[in-house]
Amino acid sequence: MEILLFFSVFVIATCGLIYELVAGTLASYLLGDSVTQFSTIIGAYLFAMGIGAWLSRFFKRDLLSWFIQLEILVGFIGGISSALLFLLFEHALSFRLILYLLVGLTGILVGLELPLLMNILKNRYAFRDLVSRVFTFDYIGALLASIVFPLLLVPYLGLIRTSCFFGILNVAVAIIVLVKFRTEIKWASYLKAKAIAVIIFLGGIFFWANDIMTFSEGMAFRDPVIFTHSSPYQRIVLTRNKSDLRLYLNGNLQFSSADEYRYHEALVHPVMVYSQQHRQVLILGGGDGMAARELLRYPDVEHITLVDLDPSMTRLFRENTLLTRLNHHSLQSSRVTVINADAFQWIKQHKTPYDIVIIDFPDPGSYAVGKLYTTAFYRQLRHCLHDSSVMVVQSTSPFVAPKAFWCVNTTLRTCGYQTIPYHTYVPSFGEWGYVMASPGTQPLRQQQEQLPEGLRYFSASVFPQMRLFAADMADRPVSPNQLNNQVLVQYFEDEWGKYQE
Amino acid sequence: MALIAGGTITAGQYIACSSKKDKYAHITGRINGASAATGHRLREGGFPPPEETTHMHTVIAGSGAAGLAAGRKLRLQGIPFKILDLEPRPGGNAASGENAWSSYPLGAHYLPLPNLQNGDLLELLREAGILTGYDTAGLPIYNETDLCFDPEERLFIRGRWQEGLVPQWGVEADSLSTIQRFLAAMDHFRWVKGSDLRYAFDIPVACSSADPQFTQLDDISMKTWLQQEGYHSEELQWYLDYCCRDDYGADTSTVSAWAGIHYFAGRKGKAANAGPSQVLTWPQGNGRLIQHLLQFSQDALLTNSLVYQVTPAGDKVHVDYFDVIRQTTCRIIADHCILATPHFVSCRLLPALQPAKGFVYSPWLVANITLDHIPASSGYPLSWDNVVYKGRSLGYVNSQQQTLLQTKPEKQVISWYLPLDHLPPTDSRRYALSLDHTHWVKLITDDLELAHKDIHRLIRNIEVQVWGHGMIRPQPGFITGVALKQAQNSGYDNIFLAHSDLSGISIFEEAFFQGNKAATQVISRS
Repeated sequence: MEILLFFSVFVIATCGLIYELVAGTLASYLLGDSVTQFSTIIGAYLFAMGIGAWLSRFFKRDLLSWFIQLEILVGFIGGISSALLFLLFEHALSFRLILYLLVGLTGILVGLELPLLMNILKNRYAFRDLVSRVFTFDYIGALLASIVFPLLLVPYLGLIRTSCFFGILNVAVAIIVLVKFRTEIKWASYLKAKAIAVIIFLGGIFFWANDIMTFSEGMAFRDPVIFTHSSPYQRIVLTRNKSDLRLYLNGNLQFSSADEYRYHEALVHPVMVYSQQHRQVLILGGGDGMAARELLRYPDVEHITLVDLDPSMTRLFRENTLLTRLNHHSLQSSRVTVINADAFQWIKQHKTPYDIVIIDFPDPGSYAVGKLYTTAFYRQLRHCLHDSSVMVVQSTSPFVAPKAFWCVNTTLRTCGYQTIPYHTYVPSFGEWGYVMASPGTQPLRQQQEQLPEGLRYFSASVFPQMRLFAADMADRPVSPNQLNNQVLVQYFEDEWGKYQE
Repeated sequence: MALIAGGTITAGQYIACSSKKDKYAHITGRINGASAATGHRLREGGFPPPEETTHMHTVIAGSGAAGLAAGRKLRLQGIPFKILDLEPRPGGNAASGENAWSSYPLGAHYLPLPNLQNGDLLELLREAGILTGYDTAGLPIYNETDLCFDPEERLFIRGRWQEGLVPQWGVEADSLSTIQRFLAAMDHFRWVKGSDLRYAFDIPVACSSADPQFTQLDDISMKTWLQQEGYHSEELQWYLDYCCRDDYGADTSTVSAWAGIHYFAGRKGKAANAGPSQVLTWPQGNGRLIQHLLQFSQDALLTNSLVYQVTPAGDKVHVDYFDVIRQTTCRIIADHCILATPHFVSCRLLPALQPAKGFVYSPWLVANITLDHIPASSGYPLSWDNVVYKGRSLGYVNSQQQTLLQTKPEKQVISWYLPLDHLPPTDSRRYALSLDHTHWVKLITDDLELAHKDIHRLIRNIEVQVWGHGMIRPQPGFITGVALKQAQNSGYDNIFLAHSDLSGISIFEEAFFQGNKAATQVISRS
């Protein structure tokens, strides 16, 4: 009997600390800055425990029943906490508020546990004994939790399963107490049913944790995964470590917050310098709003139309505070209109000319995306351009996939565009290529000197160097990419396939 | 509570599934044949004397590719005409259908790049906007969205999909070199000319050389020729059976060597923006070409009108037809008549015409299958044409290949082809007409399961199209024979015959050629 009760103390203590660690880890995954997150979470949690301890004075009768109720509740809330936070991260406007509310609630409940238990035990043991034993087990439990959490639980179970597992342990304590003291407990069968229901529920989450937050997928990424979403079009994954946030679409890196400015400045500013007018801009792809952010630096950009296939991408980058910090709220700008449509269909239906077109599609790794790099596409796009419009196409890596890169250039030239291929180094991507193109008959020439303030990478003086291609990336004879040959997809797959072997 | 509810649903479903014996029972659909019942009234006869009589310059019986081609030609010359067809919709073998997700072919689904000498056909394509111009070397430039999108063809062989239809995966070196030797021989035949300086094999067939060193190939079967030439390769044999079944509805032992070689050597198309072996295709198949041809005959077309008798009367010709909707008979007194109907029908319409020997028709089945998606399987991705090595059918064509959308359609539609050549034509025709939808579903689904295990769970609907007389079979001696030559003429100055079976090969190019030829004869008399 005695052993059992003190074992309960041990389990309760372990669970309590685990919930705290889970909350702290989640906060630093999702919000970054682990020192701040951990210390504020620990502070808030301990403070909430204090509130719980204070509240314990109001429980005067039926203590055992209340204790069992409490265990079930702690198990339930603690158990679902990380699944809930992962799910809400995408939708909540203020994730922080929800996080601290949950931490506060768990803290209060955990804070109630020990005082309540000591009240239950006070008539069975001498006070000296009681205090000594309860705290001994409490601290041993805490030690165990703090060791197994980083070494076993996070790497092998993942956060969602860890909290479920400990939630189940909490409820198991409730059941053990329930069975041992069944004669002294009111509403015993009701409590038993409730406890079993919670265990089944948590067991379900444990079992389906992969669907909530693909843990195995998380293993495939370099950094902890903080967000996943499967839209009808693609799988969106965000990962985060202490210094950067990365976006993956279908497992392919789209940007790293540490160096995306290099990619996006190189994508946007050269066309701006090479075009006379900036008034009407079209972005195809680029649902992350980063290209729009660069364009909004120009006061003479009157309007940006952004056409991206996936509403869940543009919503994420319009609403999530973490991401809007990166794109400077560009998708909320009154100068930007976001349209969720299939680019090929959209350009077939819209024939108003744009001064600038930025094409930031995913790499041509599939026959579906490959169609957006064909002669048919670029010929159709001509109807969205006037003679002096300038566009740019992100064109994969000229180092890893030189044939694929030069194929984009050849395809554009076949369609009668003047082109300037160029490249830059983006550490997280490697050497990356772009093709600037204009339908005019004259070669592209620089039209403007002025660049906006605040650029970290691009300047007029680095551009000549970006246009130089060393021998290992130099132009080579390739066929234009057509709907009926899709050579680009083949080049791309061959070259990237070899590179990744 | 939710758990209990969930549990009941699952248990309920389990019971429902396990009690259902037929795992294909969820698949809906119908059999839509060429209107066999109406057509068979021709055999029974007994139509009442015509109640109405009208006059018309020219009457064309049949609204397939040949009839519509004739109509186009007449319209371009300003000659008034009517086209009569017993079917509710025009198009014949090139007809098409559609559902909520896609258009689909009911028969023919592609046109190989036309030969550069086939000026009439190139002109048709130019008129339809499919051919957009010529490059400096004189090669046609085709509209990019009309050329078959890549990936084009794949073959399921030894448990995986390979690129292309010529067997490669796991094929032994001997066999591969035999295949190469065969293809090289075909390339030789493609460009070789006879003593009359015509190509040995050309499209239209009528333009081919009459040099006996080539026409004698029509005397033996393709299979015999392959044996004579020492092409011993199981894979090549399968591939050629596949090709012959694809174009003639019968395998190499049934069709002549001339026809078998013509399949390869007849096609010499070139384009500025496509490889020589590429094809033009559309979601509705050759229905796209019918759609264009129809513009010239829209107001002249009478569907649901079964021509049952064509009677020469002096310098006129009486065309009697049965209006299937009104259930009345009518007569058109015309100056000229073009019978754009298969030979076996023409003989019934025009009693003076003697049925010629050797006209054998292959029965066909085309199924348009709507399914949630085509499951991914190992190897090459979903292509336009997807064939299973040694499968019973010819595989399936992805009707949504020519889409520019990024997303997969909500439902996919594929067209599945089966030449019914397991029995003699008459027997398999009877077999095909006797089978009910459930049996077809089983036959079709079982065939698809060879390459796509458990695909039946994804299939929603199968529309079955039975073509009792799908295409003419160029059996040995047929194309170069006397019977075919004699069948070209009606025996009357003002009645002309136009159907691809008069070429001995059932392809759009031949139907178009025959239609134009007949129309030219009408024009020259007008």
